[in-house]
Amino acid sequence: MQLLHRLKELYENADNSVKGELLEASSKPVDSVRGPNLNTISLPRIIAEAELIRAKEPHLRGATVAIRYQGLNDFVRLLLAFDGWCGALYLLPEDDAPQLPDDCQCWAGLQSDVKRDTALPEGQHVVTHWYIATSGTTSKPKWIAHQLAGLTASVRVNLEQMPLRWGLLYQPFRFAGLQVLLQGLLSGASIVDASNGDISRRIKVLRAARTTALSATPSMWRQLLLSGELETLSLSQLTLGGEIADQGVLNMLRARFTEARIIHIYASTEAGVGFSVSDGKAGFPEAWLKDGYYGVKLKINAHHHLCIKPLQLPKSGIKNRMDAQGYIDSEDMVEIIDGRVYFLGRAGGVINVGGNKVHPQLVEQVILSIEGVLSARVFGSKSSVMGSLVSAEVVAEAETELAALKKKIIMQCMQRLARYQVPVRIDFVKQIKTNETGKIDRRQLSE
Amino acid sequence: MNIEQKIRHTMEQVAELSQCQLVNEIDDDTVLLQSGLDSLGFAMLVAQLDEELGFDPFTQMAIPVYPSTFGEFVSIYRQYSEKTRE
Repeated sequence: MQLLHRLKELYENADNSVKGELLEASSKPVDSVRGPNLNTISLPRIIAEAELIRAKEPHLRGATVAIRYQGLNDFVRLLLAFDGWCGALYLLPEDDAPQLPDDCQCWAGLQSDVKRDTALPEGQHVVTHWYIATSGTTSKPKWIAHQLAGLTASVRVNLEQMPLRWGLLYQPFRFAGLQVLLQGLLSGASIVDASNGDISRRIKVLRAARTTALSATPSMWRQLLLSGELETLSLSQLTLGGEIADQGVLNMLRARFTEARIIHIYASTEAGVGFSVSDGKAGFPEAWLKDGYYGVKLKINAHHHLCIKPLQLPKSGIKNRMDAQGYIDSEDMVEIIDGRVYFLGRAGGVINVGGNKVHPQLVEQVILSIEGVLSARVFGSKSSVMGSLVSAEVVAEAETELAALKKKIIMQCMQRLARYQVPVRIDFVKQIKTNETGKIDRRQLSE
Repeated sequence: MNIEQKIRHTMEQVAELSQCQLVNEIDDDTVLLQSGLDSLGFAMLVAQLDEELGFDPFTQMAIPVYPSTFGEFVSIYRQYSEKTRE
């Protein structure tokens, strides 16, 4: 069912406890003394406005439309209007967007001039394809197609969740932010837009809007802790996702929010499943390997990868990564210590720097292109602040001035890579360790 | 060099490396996130100090407080270095 109808159903059948609202700061600069002014709009009103857009723009039925985020109210209104109405809906990122199709119309507000009729016959059902741009950190950004059913598969509506006010820390036109937004909307919660500005501004907005629930990466949580102002929020639900949640950050959050529900989420896009851990400990119980998790079966293969057998057979694309019993390799490395399964990092050596993925090969290519470098290995080293940081081992040609070479490597990397991809530590070594097949060993996350 | 000088010196190195501009006057009350280093710069600072001092107080989660000012940050390093010396 389309988003508009799902929300209408929710609000028409709901009792008075469901009072979802959208809240955003009304002006960009935030008054440091009084705090921000908030624009508040109820979801029933947004629903009515979305219906008005449909009524005024009938020719957009079945069309291909691109929208740009310009504030939460506007964005949600357009999502409601266009899901189940347009054939394709492109969510434009703020920077360089991948190529749009030729027939795509960029939404620029209501057009009063020409009224054209829809090409689609009345009553014909439209299933909208949503397109979200990848962030382009590892390659050129591209459009990835989704459907509402997939985007909201993990939404759980329960009465306990009803009064929550979710703070939106991620940009809602990216995958993570859109999920927080949709899950919040469909559970009847209110959403507070804190997706832009520095940490201090975001916390001011969250506080002014009396936010009760937040979802962020462990690195983002550490940043919130670092601000010294996180404690000023009254949170009852804290969610960590997108990176490995370590015991330290879980403990620090628990110490500040003793009564709150604190969960960390593991998601495997490959297997199309995720699970949440709510006992306040890092990793997950070893017993789940035996008992499964709500029907999802888990096991660890010979390479120490977590393998997952989902309830439904996944899309054909990953059949080759399935074993004879139907388990899919998540490519996430794990180890068992004292009855607990802990995540170690990605098997392919992909380094997660505060939620940004870094492919070591990409960084190695840059380093290898520099004169004086014989070989290089790039790997993740654990960081107590960002989860992981990028480190490099380099073998230099004989009689190279190492200090100068190090500087050159850093300069080149700064020029050609994003900041989080630049190695923070470069060590010169005599040789690079390789495995039996002569490849750089990427199985271990370096300490 | 005492710990505070070492931290200041390392901060300047990291800022230069990561193309951040530190604020002019950093004193005990300067909020870390307003010192000019962003969170990645801050992670680099902790990693660099680990290399130079041989410890990272934030991995040993014995510390119940998280620093928000420069003064608190220095004091955590000072405390930790005294503890390891004992």
